[in-house]
Amino acid sequence: MTGWNIDRRKFLKAAGALGAGLMMRPGFAWSADGDTLRIRMEGDLQTLDPAFMNGGIEDVIMRGIYVTLNRFGDLREGSPWAPWGAEKLEQKDPKTIAFTLIDGLKWSNGFGAVTADDVKFSYERIAHPDLGSPWAYQFEQLDHIEAVDARNGIIHLKSPYQPLFVVSLPYYGGHILSRVGMEKAGGKFTTEPPATCGPYIFADWQQKQKVTLTTNPNWPGPRPEFGKVEIYIVSDDQAAQLAYEADAFDYTKIATSATKAVKVSPPADTAVIEAQSTRYVWLTINMLSPRLQDIKVRQAVQYGVDVGQILIGVYDDLVPRSTGVVQPGSKFARAKNLIEGADYEKSAALLAEAGVNDLTLTLTVMNDSIRTATAQIIQASLEQAGIKVEIQPYDEAAFWGVGDKTQGDGYKNIDLALMDFAGGVDPSENLVWFRPDQIGAYNWSGFDSPEYEAAYEDLVAEMDPAKRIELSNRMEDLMEQSGCFMFICHQPLVAIHRTGLEPVIYPDGHPNPVLFKKKA
Amino acid sequence: MSSVTEAPPSSLGRQRFAPLRALLADPFTGAALILVAGFLITAALAPWLAPYSPTKIDVLHKLQPPSAEHWFGTDHLGRDLLSRIVFGTRTALTIAMVSVVIAGAIGLLLGLIAGYGPRWLDALLVLTFDSLNSLPMIMFALAIITVLGAGTSTLIIVIAATSFPSYARLIRAQTLALKNSDYILAERLLDAGTVRIIFVHLLPNVVGPLIILLSMDIPVVIMVEAGLSFLGLGVRPPTPSWGSILYDGYTSIRSAPFMVIFGGFPLVLATLGFTFLGEGLRDYLDPRLKLRRPA
Repeated sequence: MTGWNIDRRKFLKAAGALGAGLMMRPGFAWSADGDTLRIRMEGDLQTLDPAFMNGGIEDVIMRGIYVTLNRFGDLREGSPWAPWGAEKLEQKDPKTIAFTLIDGLKWSNGFGAVTADDVKFSYERIAHPDLGSPWAYQFEQLDHIEAVDARNGIIHLKSPYQPLFVVSLPYYGGHILSRVGMEKAGGKFTTEPPATCGPYIFADWQQKQKVTLTTNPNWPGPRPEFGKVEIYIVSDDQAAQLAYEADAFDYTKIATSATKAVKVSPPADTAVIEAQSTRYVWLTINMLSPRLQDIKVRQAVQYGVDVGQILIGVYDDLVPRSTGVVQPGSKFARAKNLIEGADYEKSAALLAEAGVNDLTLTLTVMNDSIRTATAQIIQASLEQAGIKVEIQPYDEAAFWGVGDKTQGDGYKNIDLALMDFAGGVDPSENLVWFRPDQIGAYNWSGFDSPEYEAAYEDLVAEMDPAKRIELSNRMEDLMEQSGCFMFICHQPLVAIHRTGLEPVIYPDGHPNPVLFKKKA
Repeated sequence: MSSVTEAPPSSLGRQRFAPLRALLADPFTGAALILVAGFLITAALAPWLAPYSPTKIDVLHKLQPPSAEHWFGTDHLGRDLLSRIVFGTRTALTIAMVSVVIAGAIGLLLGLIAGYGPRWLDALLVLTFDSLNSLPMIMFALAIITVLGAGTSTLIIVIAATSFPSYARLIRAQTLALKNSDYILAERLLDAGTVRIIFVHLLPNVVGPLIILLSMDIPVVIMVEAGLSFLGLGVRPPTPSWGSILYDGYTSIRSAPFMVIFGGFPLVLATLGFTFLGEGLRDYLDPRLKLRRPA
């Protein structure tokens, strides 16, 4: 018997040969040049149940492992929608939409074909008030779904709901679940879906590190360009940029503060995406606060904030000022704000008219760099108008508790709060949060306008685009006239990626790896 | 090596400065004393030493590199970095000193009571000290800050609440060692009251080690304050703090690395200064420890 005998030279030879062999193996690659796409997301997943999705990485994974009837295209192309899980999606009349599922869609784990009954189950489940889904509003006009046969179904609405194709179907609540799978799972699950049917399989999850998706061999649609998607979890933008430069991923969002430097001198083999996201930022002025019940005082705050300073100081002038919660540049955006710029004299005069001296307000803010920098500019700006502001930073979890009416009456004592929400393509998606029923939930300004509520109901039912524009503009006028809002901007979206990639970004700013392409 | 016990009583003046001379005799302690004195003077004279207001925002001149106008450059909101560091010294030392003094006072009082009081009270207090000691400081801080919100007073409460049990434990041990000593027994025989025994006879004899521990904890508290401010859970903006300067620098590290360098420098110096001073004080107040140390 020959004994195992190796010296340093033999070891190096063997290692070199092994390395060369591996590199020459077809399909092997470390990056997007090959079959693996590596993208970075900020946080870990908590659930894969669409009804309780929090967004972020969950959104990215669910686009891979489930299907929706339609899907969005790239944000930079105006997020056009196209059929996806349905081969046909047809509006028969304002309250009736017929769909036909693509042929060959199958559930994993032996749960059979994806059927119209699964669509019925999924949408009616999320719409049901007993479930308590935060996305139930996307289906609030759903009456029922009629499963005509295995692949054909009809969505019946209670009343016309224009945003269905851009708010309900392609988004969070629009992901289809298996009725049988869910029943076997006892009606609920968190991170282990009973069955999936999308172009990818949820192959591996290393908590707080990485999620791996691999292609679904039973997927009947167009095969994704990448056989494997690795989603790395890195919370910090600076760390992510360093990791990208060290070739740890192929796509990552970067910090706004890094944009200028990256544009001047991008890392090797890198393209920069600079777009305006749908995430809108505004200053909430709470009319329920004892200090802000007089509209003149609220208007004094509106006149006392110099938004231009925020755009320069925090956003490096990468984005213009918003004229509302609707994205500037979209056809629904207002032409201008009613209060266009800071006017400290007007602000002081309004305070004098209201008979208020030595006004001190608390500005509630989340404790990250961008938000605290914005808060400090607001503070300095209002000081010039004679309004003293104390900044109260909170971490994310505590912040959302401050305005939550289920945690007591504290929401009535908020003075000012710096807020930002991810928006959608349709204006109703952005305007929904300021309806009266959202007071003490997401409407922290106490804004309670019956005219706004009526306009919202008209907006979602209206089919005429011109009338919809008029309605959404009127709603933003009402918001501003109430003195409860100071619109700031829609945050810039800055991401970097390898030049060999063509990323597709959803309106919420998250990538959709299913649609990523390799450049020819 | 000189120490207070070895100082020749040649004159009153020499005697008065003997402790200082003893501290300065050790080069590390001497350097530390100068550093600490420098920080204390900077904190006290911050409004006169800082060239600009530490909170004045000038976004058109943000992230300017060091220049004749702004020696340390400007931060992400265009504020003068040197001025923020100077005022940050005041913030760091105020929080460190106030919280350590409060924690020391509570620890001293409760330690004396535990050590000299009845056994049941001792057991109860020790249980309290140990329970509080078992809480990780940062987790406890995060919980309190979540409830009370970030701010200077919250920081002081958190630091004092998590620090005093170790001081109390130390004082209790010292008190237990002394409570049956001859001079205390003699006081008891002379019908001296408990309060008198505790505050007149025990306190002066147990306070020395506490002072050493307090001085050595100051850099720890400075680091905790900086750490929480780095996380955005320390002092409220726009109050300058070394930790928040570091965080602001970190977020702009690619375009303005000088912020992290200038922001980190005082933190390192303060930690070194207070640590070496604490060790020097320990050697001075307890020369036996020094004799045991290798040359």
